[in-house]
Amino acid sequence: MSEGALPKEDAVLRVDDLQKSFGGLAATDHATFAVERGTITGLIGPNGAGKSTLFNLISGFYEPDGGTVEVNGTDVTGMEPYQVAEHGLIRTFQTPRKLEGMTVREAMLVGPRKQPGESFLTLFTSPGTVAESESANLAEAERILEDFEIDHLATQPATDISGGQMKLVELARAMLAEPEVLLLDEPVAGVNPTLAKKLKDQIRRLNEQGTTFLLIEHDMEFVMDLADPIVVLDQGHVLTEGTPEGVRNDDRVIDAYLGGGT
Amino acid sequence: MSLLDDPKAAFADLSRPEGWVLGVSVAFVLFLFVAMLTGALGPTYFLFLVGLAGMYALLSFGLNAQWGFTGLINFSVAAFFGIGAYGTALMTASGSPIAGGFSPLVGLAVALVVALALALLIGIPTLRLRADYLAIASLGLAEVVRLIVLNERWLTNGSAGLRGIPGFFDGWPVLSTFPEAMPGLRLEVIPGSPVILETAFWQASLNVLLVLAFAGAAYFVLRRAHRSPWGRVLRTIRSDEDLARALGKNTYSFKMQSFVLGSLIMALAGVFYAHLNLYVGPGDLDPITTFYAWVAVILGGSGSNRGALFGGIVIVTIREGTRFLNDVALPIDPAPLRLLLIGVVIVAVMRYRPQGVLPPQRELIWPSAVGGGGTPETPDSGVRERKGGGDDE
Repeated sequence: MSEGALPKEDAVLRVDDLQKSFGGLAATDHATFAVERGTITGLIGPNGAGKSTLFNLISGFYEPDGGTVEVNGTDVTGMEPYQVAEHGLIRTFQTPRKLEGMTVREAMLVGPRKQPGESFLTLFTSPGTVAESESANLAEAERILEDFEIDHLATQPATDISGGQMKLVELARAMLAEPEVLLLDEPVAGVNPTLAKKLKDQIRRLNEQGTTFLLIEHDMEFVMDLADPIVVLDQGHVLTEGTPEGVRNDDRVIDAYLGGGT
Repeated sequence: MSLLDDPKAAFADLSRPEGWVLGVSVAFVLFLFVAMLTGALGPTYFLFLVGLAGMYALLSFGLNAQWGFTGLINFSVAAFFGIGAYGTALMTASGSPIAGGFSPLVGLAVALVVALALALLIGIPTLRLRADYLAIASLGLAEVVRLIVLNERWLTNGSAGLRGIPGFFDGWPVLSTFPEAMPGLRLEVIPGSPVILETAFWQASLNVLLVLAFAGAAYFVLRRAHRSPWGRVLRTIRSDEDLARALGKNTYSFKMQSFVLGSLIMALAGVFYAHLNLYVGPGDLDPITTFYAWVAVILGGSGSNRGALFGGIVIVTIREGTRFLNDVALPIDPAPLRLLLIGVVIVAVMRYRPQGVLPPQRELIWPSAVGGGGTPETPDSGVRERKGGGDDE
């Protein structure tokens, strides 16, 4: 077993011996790996390998049965999702989340963390501060939408855009939260090839600007092209980790995908 | 843009349903005015109705802050209303078994504190759980509060209720003697049917003043909160709580704030009611109040403050308006049809306008952050300062 074999000097996310069972099923079985700062790390594995469970454990949506999660050197095991987010780890969801009754730019504005206007009292004691930060956030949201080339959608109802555009908006909104490490759960599932390419370019661009990514993806071509290193998960534990080239040629990975066991 | 700055644009800005509501409201007010001049509607009674409308508006404001903003299902509107009413009554009424005789301001404070405590009591265990648990727990809470009020005679006088509640402004300088000090007026606009304004009328107008102050304050607070980042987090929770959590929002705290805010506004309605009616009894905690508030919010449009206001007025119109149908010669007694009528209205709204009559329409971003024409340019600081401070449009 070469679990998390690569040496990690500066890990922004470190998962150590994480466990979670649902009844008799060990969904996460002593998983250990780390995400190096500045990388796009891919997380792959056959269906039921426990990728989404792992995401939920890391981001605080599930309580682990054992093991630890560290974000930026801080132990965040067992913390609430909002606390994990405060430490710089933001996640997206497999199915895009719709915000009814909001426009796209309004939905974007949910993203920024620690807005003064999120304190009820500040709304009345210091409305000027609220207005100032709201203007800044709105300008930032517009700028990011422009970067993503979807600024024409800004005032559209957030529920009226296509699934692929929702994925883009979701990524854009996550960026407003200024994450140090961003967990993407199947960013291109159900997205047409043109938009998928756009998403890939965006992820790459954001990565060059300093955001670390950990992404689950079933589209092998997409993930092999984008991510390095790649962590392979099988039956809840880390099977191997390596470069796309190495993973592709690893017999154990092929066995895991094809269901071979010998 | 406020109505005063640019009335033409403000009218052009109205959507069709808004235009309808405005038109019907104006016609309705004119109708009431004419009824008053002809003596068909006593002016004192008219002011009493305005007070009731304000009270229902407060209840629906409160529920809107919980259900409309955050999606919290609260079935104990009547309990918070009752806590407000009993809270102030127990402090101020001459017939109070425990305290009594305090100033209504003390009553107001006590009512709000008790409502706050009750909201925390029910919120702490349920708001961490799925939405349905609050619904179930609040349904139970409403009955528990009602039964305590009915049975704990040493505390609440039981089924006899509390008498001798003073008016809210009793003991205030000027205002307490205002009704007696005002001269009785006799207006005769239409010959033969004079309109007489005397002490009772001035007393009632003080009540209207009070409810306008309460409802105005509540509306101001809710309106500002609704358009703020705070309100945006609440709306995110309503659509998808997990998303809000993933983006670093402490949803439990936000839900609690929204629940407490709504409960306090409901208690405010109860405080007003106690000083309007000058008597409270366990019957005031009947669950029907809860359902009136729900109907008002759904009718007006969940999440919309003016919708809640509109819904509250419609409820009072149906509730009190059916009394007058007795005067018109109908073959059946129409008053018991009240609930049926409300049912018909709600079915019609659900069928033809499920989002409510006045749903929240425009995008809700802190007003000064968005330029007038929806352009995203950051306004210069002078404009921002001015508008951010006062203009709540």
